[in-house]
Amino acid sequence: MTVWKLAWLNFKNGFKNYLSLVISMAFTVLVFMNFQNLIYSEVFQVLGEHNREYIEVLVQVVSFVLACFMFFFTGYATSVFLTRRKKEIGTYVFMGLSNQKIGKLYSIETLFTGLTALGLGIGTGILTAGLFQMILVTLAGLTVEVHFFVSAKPVLVTTVIYLVIYLFFVLKGYANIARSSVLSMISAARQNEYVRQNRLILLVKAVFGCGILGMGYSLAVRRGGPEILGHAFEAVVLVTLGVYLLFGGLIPLCFQTLAENKRFLYQKERILWVNRVIFRMKKNYRTYAIVSVLILCSVTALAMGFAMRERYENIIQFEQVYTFQLLSSRDDLADQAERIIREYTDIQYQGEAPILTLDTSDIVTGDFYNHYAVLPYSAVRKLAGSVSLEWNIPEPGDDEIIRVSRLYLLSLLTDRSGRQVTIGGKVYRQTGETSEPYLGYLQEQVSFYMVSDREYERLRPLGQELYTFNYKISDPAAFQAVKERLGELVDDRDGEYTARVAIDPEKNDLDWVRVLYPFCIFMFLVFLMSSGSMMFMKVYNDAFEERERCRVMGRMGVEESVLGRAIAWELGMAYGLAFLVMAVSSWFSVRALANMMYADLTGVNVVSVLVVFMILLFCYGLSVAVYKRNSR
Amino acid sequence: MNENKIAEIRNLVKNYGVKGFQSRVLKGIDLTIFRNDFIAVMGPSGSGKTTLLNILSTLDKPTQGTVILDGQDITRISNRELSKLRRDKIGFIFQDYNLLDTMTLQDNIVLPLSLNGVSPGVCIQKAREMAELFGLGEHLGKYPYQLSGGQKQRGAACRALITDPEIIFADEPTGALDSKAGRELMECFRKVNESGRATILMVTHDPFCASYARDVCLLRDGLITCRLSRGGDRKEFYDRIMDMQASMGGDFS
Repeated sequence: MTVWKLAWLNFKNGFKNYLSLVISMAFTVLVFMNFQNLIYSEVFQVLGEHNREYIEVLVQVVSFVLACFMFFFTGYATSVFLTRRKKEIGTYVFMGLSNQKIGKLYSIETLFTGLTALGLGIGTGILTAGLFQMILVTLAGLTVEVHFFVSAKPVLVTTVIYLVIYLFFVLKGYANIARSSVLSMISAARQNEYVRQNRLILLVKAVFGCGILGMGYSLAVRRGGPEILGHAFEAVVLVTLGVYLLFGGLIPLCFQTLAENKRFLYQKERILWVNRVIFRMKKNYRTYAIVSVLILCSVTALAMGFAMRERYENIIQFEQVYTFQLLSSRDDLADQAERIIREYTDIQYQGEAPILTLDTSDIVTGDFYNHYAVLPYSAVRKLAGSVSLEWNIPEPGDDEIIRVSRLYLLSLLTDRSGRQVTIGGKVYRQTGETSEPYLGYLQEQVSFYMVSDREYERLRPLGQELYTFNYKISDPAAFQAVKERLGELVDDRDGEYTARVAIDPEKNDLDWVRVLYPFCIFMFLVFLMSSGSMMFMKVYNDAFEERERCRVMGRMGVEESVLGRAIAWELGMAYGLAFLVMAVSSWFSVRALANMMYADLTGVNVVSVLVVFMILLFCYGLSVAVYKRNSR
Repeated sequence: MNENKIAEIRNLVKNYGVKGFQSRVLKGIDLTIFRNDFIAVMGPSGSGKTTLLNILSTLDKPTQGTVILDGQDITRISNRELSKLRRDKIGFIFQDYNLLDTMTLQDNIVLPLSLNGVSPGVCIQKAREMAELFGLGEHLGKYPYQLSGGQKQRGAACRALITDPEIIFADEPTGALDSKAGRELMECFRKVNESGRATILMVTHDPFCASYARDVCLLRDGLITCRLSRGGDRKEFYDRIMDMQASMGGDFS
């Protein structure tokens, strides 16, 4: 019998055992292919060239992340598979097969598996492409008609990338087997050694783990200026390392300590699952840590998606608060402008307010703008009333100042409390900040500071006073005509100055941000499903190792229900601990994100953790059932 | 009928194979086991020793006949009741020890008691007692991989005895041990049997081990063909077993 034939027979007969590997790999292929397909699909054409380019960049970035993830996931899945197969096919040593031949056998078998996964992934990918695009478009809130579209190029790109990654790991497995000692090949029945780990090493790991994790958490939520980008990066590294050390140090240490307390241990099936957790933790702590970090990433990605969507909506609302704004050195333009607008449409609301523009040399602040201006408190309050915007700002004192800022998509400046602003040599303490769009689009261009009326009067000689006239029109169709007519007021001569701002109600140049939201949801699901399948694969294989132990206990008269409870506890600990560490860490990561996005993401954090809980609960239930079946 | 009767086997028959192509391994065995018996079952390969032990220890079902254990006919009770019987009334000692490698020796010994819901204090005390009895007091904190074969088998014996079962079934308990470890184990068996703590039914092919028993049953072609009782001296008993083996012929390995 040739090695090919033997490999085919092994593959055919053991297909059930390969199933978890095949499904997991097919899933990564499906995801990757669907994303690639987006680049070539016409679904985003409707958003215009500008948005389409942004989205293409986004898809490429996500594809890169997915390719990295595919590399990592394939490596993990094949290594789990290799460990198991190595023991099974190791017996061929006794039939006189060389390590190279056994390696070849493994490689061919794995290749069959890989090709099956590829076929399945591409097949389901093609079938679900339309559905995928439809979900994406719906989540993004776009009105586009989705046609079934699959291009050959994404299929080809996915196949090539997947095969390169997969073949790399197949060859790695071959090299591993070819270099293995005969003893390690036939060690399936060998007893497990060093079940318990050295306490001192565990203690050192636990102390370092807690310290590093604490540092990571504190860096993540630390507020500051542009340096927070560095902090965020350091926090990611430290939290990942900390979680790894937590599962490799503190958690096994706790369980070993519990197991040494026999009065705690000898409580019915607790003796079984506590000992098993100790044993499994030593072998699986890397997987638990990876799963925990992956889910943490997924929760953060989801929070990012929600925050982006909220921010997009707010930015649009911010920009669209007025359709036209006039900025003029004249204070008598209101009637003229209103008359012009009413020729074409009604006015939904309108308001005016003076501003004091300052020379950049007269103001010292932490913001870097080309234009700075001061606003009088009462005028802004009146404007807020005219356009029905929220107002709960107390009047600042003589040495106090309130920043009137814009909305940021993402800001690296997370600490704005207690800042100082110097105007004309006088130092003001910034007591608050508002991003209500009192002055609409102008707030994006000019850095505004609100002072008390008295202080405004005092500062008046320092700069030039201009007047803003702000209008929201009722009929968007009249935009173009009004815009042209108001253009007639624009003036810049003889010391008089009038400028016009026109915001098209149909403007859509930020639509690409809307796509970020479904992308983030998708990444959340991908990471989450992958984490679940990683745990599942591990459990699936572990269960086979438990067979002998379960057989022994069955012969001793240990009831199935007792074994079932022990399994439920054991797996509950594995899933529960990964979930707990993730949930705690997510609070910090989402808070860091919230600081950067000026958003309250607590609700998103809670909801995403609940979603993770539900999905992990499902995986847990499935794992317990499979574990019970495989260990029998 | 003795009220100290623990097990009663009547006309035990076991067939293997499908209908029409069956081979009869046990052909109608009758055996009664009394409290504090120490019976060794010997016989050539294929004589049905392990089948007999598996049926008696409730791991297998007979084709025909009755096995009364602790007053219950084990051929007629449910799987749940069988599990309970196995847990509460029977102790097992296997050739390959079957200690759980993820637990310390003490945890292994205590396991059946703990699963039965016995209080931790009693578990700890009984584990220490059993370990002292079998010379394992120093090794309670060790894992199976840190113990010798003899120590593991004595540990397995402690686990089998800790619930004070009605009967211990031992399947080739010295099969994986060297002669010294085998002898030490048999001495332990003898000690617990003579102190009245255990009734033992042991399957073995080794006449030396069998000579530690009070009675030896010889199984041949699915039937008990001969039963010897020790009486006094163990060496003399060993010679008698050897003579009987020689007279019967066959492969006893």
